[in-house]
Amino acid sequence: MDETSALVRLILRKAETLNPSFEKDLLALLPRLRRFAIGLSGNPSDGDDLCQMTIERALANRSRWEVGTRLDSWMYRIMRNIWIDEGRKKTRSLQTFVSEEAGIAIGSEGAQEAAVELGNVDRAMQSLPPDQREAVLLVMVEGYAYKEAAEIVGCPVGTLNSRLVRGRDALMAELGEAS
Amino acid sequence: MTITREDIAAFADGELSGERETEVAAAVTGDAELAQQVQRHRALKAMLAEHYAPVLGQCAPERLTSLLAQPQPAEIVDFAAARERRESRRRLPHWGWIAAPALAASLVLAVFLPRQGGEASPYVDTQLAAVLDDRLVAVQSPREETRVILSFRSEEGRYCRAFSGRAGSGIACRDETGWKLEALGKGSHGDPTDYRMAGAGDAEILALAQEMAAGPALDEEAEKAARARDWR
Repeated sequence: MDETSALVRLILRKAETLNPSFEKDLLALLPRLRRFAIGLSGNPSDGDDLCQMTIERALANRSRWEVGTRLDSWMYRIMRNIWIDEGRKKTRSLQTFVSEEAGIAIGSEGAQEAAVELGNVDRAMQSLPPDQREAVLLVMVEGYAYKEAAEIVGCPVGTLNSRLVRGRDALMAELGEAS
Repeated sequence: MTITREDIAAFADGELSGERETEVAAAVTGDAELAQQVQRHRALKAMLAEHYAPVLGQCAPERLTSLLAQPQPAEIVDFAAARERRESRRRLPHWGWIAAPALAASLVLAVFLPRQGGEASPYVDTQLAAVLDDRLVAVQSPREETRVILSFRSEEGRYCRAFSGRAGSGIACRDETGWKLEALGKGSHGDPTDYRMAGAGDAEILALAQEMAAGPALDEEAEKAARARDWR
């Protein structure tokens, strides 16, 4: 038994060094990353902007990712951090009537267009505060356990749980008995 | 006993365990209103999952995929890499003393499609699929008819499991349809009670797993997590 597990470890350590597949692994994760990004930002074009920023930051910081830990959780954490930061920036710039910083595409035209296409679920999701929206997406769409979602967000499990419940209650009220 | 809204949601998500789960389950069974709340939580979850699912099937825009494009190595680099691979294979004879006599004669490792009712099917049968679905490497008896040797993620991100039994050994990877056979070798002929986990027929399978794996073998936790997601 021991001999075999040592053998398997040896093989796979070798596979790891022979096969630095960071980009490939990210590519495999891309559909899920886009789903989370679109859910957070509320429309595909902002979602893909968020995805792009996330991938760029991940590539720049790839040495910080510990081999053997979950790449998906690491990516989701980067994404939600960027999203929170960008949200704060946006709020500040709207409050002070300063024009948008270059590179963050939230032109009013695009926003209106997107608003027209929003379905009931999208509208209900966009009405949730950020902390509830990310909790709902991580658990109910991305399928993370509460503990995993709390680690991604960086909060205690109990906090995650109560944000999730508030988010759900709001969604059920908004979407009515359709749900 | 007080049942909070958090309890109900956590119960609906399968997040409770032990005594608390039993208590909440009992309360839900005896109370139509609570049962309905659980139902609504699950319906909402299904609705959201369905709403966002189409994104997974879309092609990602080129501006995203191009960020992750692999730089094509020059020929000369390939040559060096190929030599490195050959050498690493040569350095693998840790089980060579077991495998060497058998390698030349008996181990033809090829993608091999078993026939089901005359039709070639690349997917494993239901019996093997059940083993691949449920069995964890760490908690199986050496006496099992078919053993799972290890699990890993392929370069495409699929979960793959190498297995070995008297009937045959191989590697199968999970896709939308089921466990698709990627390789099939001969069965291991050893007495299942001896101490040898990686039998002669397993050597090539392990070497192939090494070629296919995008990272380290899954440990028990990772296997459990993968199983909980139906290996997808």
